[in-house]
Amino acid sequence: MEAQSTPVSYLPIIFQMIVALGFVVTTMIATHLLGPKRKTKDKLTPFESGIEVIGNARQPFSIKYFLVAILFVLFDIEVIFMYPWAVNFREMGMEGLIEMFIFMGTLLLGFIYIIKKKALDWE
Amino acid sequence: MDVIITISLLAILVLYLGLFKAAKALLPVTLVGLLVALGLTFNHWDLANNTKSIFSGMLLFNNFSVAFSALAIISTFLILMLSKDYFERISANVAEYYTIILFALTGIIIIASYHNLSMLFIGIEIMSVSLYILTGIKKRDYASNEAALKYFLMGAFSTGFLLFGITLLYGASGSFDLTEIRNYVASSEEISPIFYAGILLSIIGLCFKAGAAPFHFWTPDVYEGAPTLITAFMSTVVKTAVFAAFLRLFYISLSSVTLQEFWVPVLVVLASLSLLIGNITAVYQQHFKRMLAYSSISHVGYLLFALIALSSASDSAVFLYAAAYTIASIIAFAALMVVQKQVGNDSFDNFNGLGRKNPLLALTLTISMLSLAGIPLTAGFIGKFMMFTGALSTYHTALTVFAVLNAIVGVFYYLRVVVAMYFKDAERNELAVPVYFKIVLVVSTLATIIIGVYPGFIADLI
Repeated sequence: MEAQSTPVSYLPIIFQMIVALGFVVTTMIATHLLGPKRKTKDKLTPFESGIEVIGNARQPFSIKYFLVAILFVLFDIEVIFMYPWAVNFREMGMEGLIEMFIFMGTLLLGFIYIIKKKALDWE
Repeated sequence: MDVIITISLLAILVLYLGLFKAAKALLPVTLVGLLVALGLTFNHWDLANNTKSIFSGMLLFNNFSVAFSALAIISTFLILMLSKDYFERISANVAEYYTIILFALTGIIIIASYHNLSMLFIGIEIMSVSLYILTGIKKRDYASNEAALKYFLMGAFSTGFLLFGITLLYGASGSFDLTEIRNYVASSEEISPIFYAGILLSIIGLCFKAGAAPFHFWTPDVYEGAPTLITAFMSTVVKTAVFAAFLRLFYISLSSVTLQEFWVPVLVVLASLSLLIGNITAVYQQHFKRMLAYSSISHVGYLLFALIALSSASDSAVFLYAAAYTIASIIAFAALMVVQKQVGNDSFDNFNGLGRKNPLLALTLTISMLSLAGIPLTAGFIGKFMMFTGALSTYHTALTVFAVLNAIVGVFYYLRVVVAMYFKDAERNELAVPVYFKIVLVVSTLATIIIGVYPGFIADLI
């Protein structure tokens, strides 16, 4: 990498941010000024797949959803580690394969643990 | 690196033992596994002391790491010996508790041997996340819940500071590697200002984890709310590990004279504040556990002396002090667990008359209190002596005088429990001390006295 980076080197980032923000602000102002304003009751209600909203969204729900969601995130993130490995598969060779298998094996142990603990049983 | 692998595999093994209902095997397997790990640790001892870094420079397992890992493993071993029948009273998930403690230990060994700031972060996270869980294992206990939440919020916040500091150090020097950062400091004519900001933020992050004032606010509540066994683990092993990390970063990367002019005054302020706040508030406590929590803050203050007087002798000074503090604290927590379990409350009055009914318990607790207070012929004295010699050799006279005055305040509150045990009579039954506790008490007391009488054999190690 370059040894010295001056503040000027970051100028493109500022331009990028100005353009991004500018686009949002301009389009919002433009639609506000150009579009016709016809407010009806239906238009002001929250939109959810065309179905009428019933009650409050903030209700207590079963802790099981949370558990399943957390476990999903855990195994979802595991896949992230496989992308760089897959990209560099040839360079890493046999050694990389073994290391990945150890990683997968550890996760498998965790998965068996979850199954055995009945964390995924809904009833 | 075989020690880290052994302990992580041991953790998984223990987890599966719990799964297959081998509840009786949990503690023995854990203890044997720790002994194996200890043996593997000593295997890395290098007399020539020119160990090469491993994993593309991520870890450097040199004599410094061997010493601190061994200390961490031995203390964990002693603490786990106290855990017989302890976790069973909390819930049925005993195997998980052992596993999480072993995971925390893995993190601790990583931060005792990191050579790359990203590994420091990973190690601290492995350790902290395990501790957040362990703090809250008493699910139905209000204090334990509060402690876990407080610890999590504060800990997450402080990790943010540490990470920000690491980022700025990287931003200025272009590398996470400790040696590369040192080379940057040595070779550049003008050090970038963001590097200084990085140092400050790393200090804040690490002091949060160690519990140095003014970042100590979580300490008393978390230590009091957590189960006593976990408190013992947090206030000994974890503190030692954080200081090993602290020392490693500052000794390898940030020890140049220009940088020292910048961060030494900061640490002097932190050390004096920790001493003052820790000691003065400890005097007013009525409960043994809370007193130990506050006194641990003051011990962080003493440990910071080794960083203020940074030299090649700092390693052994921190090691000796940490060892003395750890062993003495384990005795204190063991005694606390006995009293808490059988009396139900840990106020000082509950120690009245213990000297007559439980002579062994009272004697070992007395020696541990003397060691924590720094009375000669105990390990604590040698630790304080080395800290003060270091500070004086770098002409921090005022700070040393202040610390000595604080040590005198310390004697007052440490001896309070001794006075209660021996000089206050109370009608009480003899407390049953299990065999495991007796072994830990006697071994730790012997270690305290041996280090106090003949400190050379561990002081010259590193």
